[in-house]
Amino acid sequence: MATLLSHVLRRLRGLRRLPGLPRLAAEMPLRARSDGAVAGPLYSHHIPTSPLQKALLAAGSAAMALYDPYRHDMVAVLGETTGHRTLKVLRDRMRRDPEGAQILQERPRISTSTLDLGKLQSLPEGSLGREYLRFLDVNRVSPDTRAPTRFVDDEELAYVIQRYREVHDMLHTLLGMPTNILGEIVVKWFEAVQTGLPMCILGALFGPIQLSAQSLQVLVSELIPWAVQNGRRAPCVLNLYYERRWEQSLRALREELGITAPPVHIQGLA
Amino acid sequence: MAAPKSCALWSYCGRGWSRAMRGCQLLGLRSSWPGAPLSARLLSQEKRATETHFGFETVPEEEKGGKVYQVFESVAKKYDVMNDMMSLGIHRVWKDLLLWKMRPLPGTQLLDVAGGTGLAWVLGDAEELPFDDDKFDIYTIAFGIRNVTHIDQALQEAHRVLKPGGRFLCLEFSQVNNPLISRLYDLYSFQVIPVLGEVIAGDWKSYQYLVESIRRFPSQEEFKEMIEDAGFHKVTYESLTSGIVAIHSGFKL
Repeated sequence: MATLLSHVLRRLRGLRRLPGLPRLAAEMPLRARSDGAVAGPLYSHHIPTSPLQKALLAAGSAAMALYDPYRHDMVAVLGETTGHRTLKVLRDRMRRDPEGAQILQERPRISTSTLDLGKLQSLPEGSLGREYLRFLDVNRVSPDTRAPTRFVDDEELAYVIQRYREVHDMLHTLLGMPTNILGEIVVKWFEAVQTGLPMCILGALFGPIQLSAQSLQVLVSELIPWAVQNGRRAPCVLNLYYERRWEQSLRALREELGITAPPVHIQGLA
Repeated sequence: MAAPKSCALWSYCGRGWSRAMRGCQLLGLRSSWPGAPLSARLLSQEKRATETHFGFETVPEEEKGGKVYQVFESVAKKYDVMNDMMSLGIHRVWKDLLLWKMRPLPGTQLLDVAGGTGLAWVLGDAEELPFDDDKFDIYTIAFGIRNVTHIDQALQEAHRVLKPGGRFLCLEFSQVNNPLISRLYDLYSFQVIPVLGEVIAGDWKSYQYLVESIRRFPSQEEFKEMIEDAGFHKVTYESLTSGIVAIHSGFKL
């Protein structure tokens, strides 16, 4: 065992001497404890990655997401590997807003374990909580399908992107968009304008590739302009403490944000 | 057990092998793990609280088997695709060379351990094989021995179940002998492979384990000595692809 370990150590030291190679820690994330000075994970599920790995992941995940649209995990990876700069901007925006700052402080999470579904059920019709629940039911989705962040190398920014993901369903509810491909694209356009995340922009631009000519027509002529308009008009949606607004009427919230009714009725609209 | 005429020799890596030598009696052994319901004998529990390596991690010895099992549960579905992607198809060449070296003939009793999808297979444990002594002409293990918790025990078992005159053949990742290639190989291993694992199979960690476990495995010479320690004679090895893999061979006299 000792000879194996010294052998490994020799090899690791050899690697570090070489110019042009990424830092040892990034090269062998998590486990290269043999040299003692390694940057380990910053948060649970964190996988530290070198710039080269991030670039490869970004390219690979983009290609795979296009190739197999059911690989939602690839969309998440794309977001994480390309979003660092934008996440900083978003985080700063949150810091400057009182409600956003509170969210950063308290780090609420939206999942079945943190939501009191019974309470939401009992809320009046038309309230945010009740409508959010209805959205989950009708589209048969659960807030728990969001994978944890792994490739963001900053623990606060990791939360910001996690929050963005968990708020995504809220946006569906606010915009009245279903979870079919058309609805998702519309929400992506809204998010792209709102957040500036490269992943949202890419999704907004490339998502429509798979659409029929008719859907594309409706999308381009009506839905995208509407989504962009609302996205620009509304304040930053990450600054809303949704968990404190369950009782607020959805209509009132939409008014507060300047979100108008969708221009066309998308099939399957809740 | 007579193999059907069109039987193919399936490797540890599933569908990568070339067509089999017809008529050879092949028995594949799928490694079982503690608790597997069909294993002939369970892995005896270790009394000492020792630790071992799991890639670059250190884990209690009795946990290693389970952790490796989880890795392979996870990688099973995309195994062949990943092998092709990671090695650019070269793993097939390596396996062909192993097959060529062993030159099985009709009637050869061959045991392929950690065989994945074998033809007639038995669930067992490489460290405690469910076979009698002196049973097989050839024992092969391709890309399997690296993952065994007690390699020395697996080697001893290999020795036990081979007939006198029988041959042990192991195809496994080894140490690269050329410094430049070694650098490139390490770069590729650590930078690209886990990314491939994530993109293709949605599994970074298993492929991180893979590249780490390769570096933990003894060098050609060290492994040769281990094989000799298990009682084999005329132990030789042949490095392939600058030592990325090696085929070790030994005989039971």
